[in-house]
Amino acid sequence: MYLAEVKAWDIVRKQYRYKLKSYFSVFTSLIVIQLLAILFSFNGTGMGGGTSNSISYEFYYYTSDIILVFMMIWAFITAIIITTRAYRYDDFSFVTNRTISQVSNILFLLSASIFAGITVYLSTHLFQILAFYFKDNYSIIVDSLSFTEFLMGMITSILYIFLFASAGYLFGILVQLHKGFLLIIPTILFGGLILDGIGGNPTLFVNVTNFFGEETSFILFICKVAIVSSILLLASLGISNRMEVRK
Amino acid sequence: MLLNADSMKPIYVQISEWLENEILNESISADEKIYSQYQLAEMFNVNPATAGKGINLLADDNVLYKKRGLGMFVAADARKIILGKRKSSKLHSLVTELAQEAVQLQVEEEELVTMIRDMHQRIKEEQS
Amino acid sequence: MNVVVCHDLTKQYGRSKALQNMNCTIAENKITGLIGRNGAGKTTLLKIIAGYLHHSSGDIQVFSENPFNNLKVSANTVFIDNEMSFSQGLTLKELLETAGSFYPNWNHDLALKLFDYFSFNPKQYHGNLSKGMKSTFNMIVGLAARCPLTIMDEPTSGMDSATRKDFYRALLKEYIAYPRTIILSSHLLDEVEDLLEEVLLIKSGEKCLHLPIDQLKEYAIGVRGKTVGVASWTEKMELISMQEIGANMSYAVIRNDRSIKELEDARQLELEITPVSAEDICSYLTSKTKGGIDHVFSRG
Repeated sequence: MYLAEVKAWDIVRKQYRYKLKSYFSVFTSLIVIQLLAILFSFNGTGMGGGTSNSISYEFYYYTSDIILVFMMIWAFITAIIITTRAYRYDDFSFVTNRTISQVSNILFLLSASIFAGITVYLSTHLFQILAFYFKDNYSIIVDSLSFTEFLMGMITSILYIFLFASAGYLFGILVQLHKGFLLIIPTILFGGLILDGIGGNPTLFVNVTNFFGEETSFILFICKVAIVSSILLLASLGISNRMEVRK
Repeated sequence: MLLNADSMKPIYVQISEWLENEILNESISADEKIYSQYQLAEMFNVNPATAGKGINLLADDNVLYKKRGLGMFVAADARKIILGKRKSSKLHSLVTELAQEAVQLQVEEEELVTMIRDMHQRIKEEQS
Repeated sequence: MNVVVCHDLTKQYGRSKALQNMNCTIAENKITGLIGRNGAGKTTLLKIIAGYLHHSSGDIQVFSENPFNNLKVSANTVFIDNEMSFSQGLTLKELLETAGSFYPNWNHDLALKLFDYFSFNPKQYHGNLSKGMKSTFNMIVGLAARCPLTIMDEPTSGMDSATRKDFYRALLKEYIAYPRTIILSSHLLDEVEDLLEEVLLIKSGEKCLHLPIDQLKEYAIGVRGKTVGVASWTEKMELISMQEIGANMSYAVIRNDRSIKELEDARQLELEITPVSAEDICSYLTSKTKGGIDHVFSRG
């Protein structure tokens, strides 16, 4: 009997390619959500105005922050979706094992995050152009960024999106392990936030946000996201290695 | 090709009998290669192992002989062996059945013998 | 060489045992029929062999390795059943191409020919197929994959009878062209028995019989006649089944190991001895009571 020897990495590549093709709808939803986010952004994320004698002025502050926030939520949900049974079982109709399925999923999420991060920037530009044409603005001031700043901004968006994808992935895997987590995790999360806020001086949420948001060193920021994402994903890998297929 | 699924005979016996018939009516002559178990499996839509068992049955009776690496061939005296075998086994069991039936229907010995003799003559005449 | 070796294999779901101390071996390049009633544990056994499920205790080896989460086993095994799911994002044609990229021995020519023969639309999606068409498509994947271990769990469910016949023929021809180990589970032993080399019969999670099909067909004999006669003749024999089939008539099934003397006695008692088909033997052997379904309706 001749038994085929396959290399794990080779199968990861094939599963990854299979996923890029078959999860294509994920990217369609990404575009739709970005368009929605642009629509929301049209009112401006901030505004102000004033009058002095004969001059009155108003200013609107347009940013692409909403697009990024939408993308983070999108990444979170997408990650949950690909942990669901229907998606997991698809892998097993072909050659795979648990680790390979997980690794190819993670690669897929990483690609999706990169794609989303890039498109956030593209939509920002689209948005600025739209804002210029459709709003009766007398003057527009656009932040001018150097290429490195532009690149750093893009990488930051990608990392934020991937961080949320990793969190969503672990959440999804936990729910697949036991339906109870569907209740337990939100309870702990919101319960924690409420308890934290009871004293009138919430620190938890602020600390978590500051851990990432206030980091001034770009390299350190990358490290922080990489480490936290890895912990989340390794936990998912460990859990799913024991899961059964098509019970 | 169809096998009689309702027959009491196991499939491999039916296959070996079919091969015997092929030899008897000289579709396959002496020293010619017989169908392989895979060809038979396809022809009769059965597992090759079952077909192989049918071939082995004939090999055990020396109707077939094996050429190493080439497969099974029809023995020179295959026809003689088959005819002898049929006489002793098939005829014997048919006669047993016939006699039993005759006893049950209360057919006398003389009457039975006459019936057989008449039928034998008629078939011989028809064939010649 | 043995492809599958189970030793005291047990699978527990909560308190109920789907498999209990199963011991069996499946030899290389044979077509084995896995036969048993609903809930006997056929699917559980197959899923453990395919590496989908954990076993609770005992030992299982596929290609001399534990199949769970095993890449080598996965690459050399194809598991076909009607729960098989394929991505909704790919057309049938694309699915075949993807399958081809995964299985080293994949025969794309065969896959396409079968695909055309069963008139599939290349642009259709797996989720939109009818049950029978799904089974047919899965079967094409199973055959074209040419895996050293091919497992098919009720592969013909939903297929019409013409398609089933075509499938059995295709399976046989493929097996002859490219011998491999095939495990075929089915309710319909009558339909598949000619294809099989061996039968593994399981009952309530345990092995009941594992025999070459020819021996299974000669495993038992049926005795029909007057109830008194049947009862006296079978008095010292172990009964596989005993049914009343009308006024003072009975039908008993016993092992086919009687002496010529005993068979002569049967004739004296005007008992009719008949062969028992493999399917009937299996249903008698796996029946909970010796009387079969009639037992439920018997008065008193």
